[in-house]
Amino acid sequence: MDYYSFFAAIENSAIGAFVRETLNVLPIVNVFHVLGIALVFGTIFMVDMRLIGLQSVTRPVSRVANDLLKWTWVGFALAAVTGLLMFAANATTFYVNLQFQLKMVALAFAGLNMVVFELVTARNMAIWDGERRTPPSARFAGFASITLWVLVIILGRWIGYTKGFNFSAPPAGDLDLDNLFGAISLVQTAVG
Amino acid sequence: MHEFASWLAGTAFSQTIASSLWMIPAIQSVHIVTFAVLIGALLIVDLRILGLASKDQSLVVVTRRYAPWVWGCIAVLAATGLLLIIGEPARELLSFSFWVKMSLLVVGMIIAAAFQIHVRNNQASWGETETVQPATKIFAVLSFFIWVGIIAMGRLIAWDADIWGSLSPQP
Repeated sequence: MDYYSFFAAIENSAIGAFVRETLNVLPIVNVFHVLGIALVFGTIFMVDMRLIGLQSVTRPVSRVANDLLKWTWVGFALAAVTGLLMFAANATTFYVNLQFQLKMVALAFAGLNMVVFELVTARNMAIWDGERRTPPSARFAGFASITLWVLVIILGRWIGYTKGFNFSAPPAGDLDLDNLFGAISLVQTAVG
Repeated sequence: MHEFASWLAGTAFSQTIASSLWMIPAIQSVHIVTFAVLIGALLIVDLRILGLASKDQSLVVVTRRYAPWVWGCIAVLAATGLLLIIGEPARELLSFSFWVKMSLLVVGMIIAAAFQIHVRNNQASWGETETVQPATKIFAVLSFFIWVGIIAMGRLIAWDADIWGSLSPQP
């Protein structure tokens, strides 16, 4: 199946053209993508380390998770929205890019790992919640989560080093800070 | 700084890093994973200060648990950051974003160290009190946004001249 024309339509959409062609929108979107990633991985890492048994072992797993996982979702929402914006700007090149494809596969496995943990492993969490040593299935979930998210980050970074992207901003004018704030106000106009 | 950057770029170590296709992205990946963990550790402590998480634990316990992560991550970030400077001296040392980042880094580390010393010196009272002073909350939010700024400036190095215009050194 070939979805090339579908992704070409996304790339040619108003939002795709806006991100690609408006001064400094792409760098700013990219910055927020990185901040989203930091929030996702930083929070889920500490939860995973608790599952593995290397961090916060005197605190019940449910409390560690409850403190942090909502922030994982905030970070994920930020990373997803900014990721979609960057994707729209160069949709066809992302679509055929091997690193991007592998990143999406790793992302899908990270999601699958989370679903299996929530639906199967965590079902009897009340029994081992306060234990320092969690069951093997929970330790596996923590280890798999860290591995998959690191893979997502590495592959994501590699996308930027593969050729064919229109990642450079349009030529800047003589304005300094006005460029930055001008782009922020453009984003605000576009969002609402 | 131009002279220093070109001298550094001429060293064998710099050329080893620069001539490899995978070294720079690999070091950057470690850098990203590490600052993500740092953000996680900082967020937990700041959420405790704000009273938004871990309220059943004293600030002393939370700080003691996550301070090693903060300083460990900063050490790894310094090492990988240094490798990136050696590998791409002009890109880093001649970039306005880089120097804003370094300035924010100094402020961020001073706040983190001062906070840790303050908590250590007041262990008894922290252990008993559930909430913290408003000034501490302001510092927690301020410090978090300084670290967010450090990450943002790090990423903006790639678009330095586009973002900062004439503030950025011209090629």
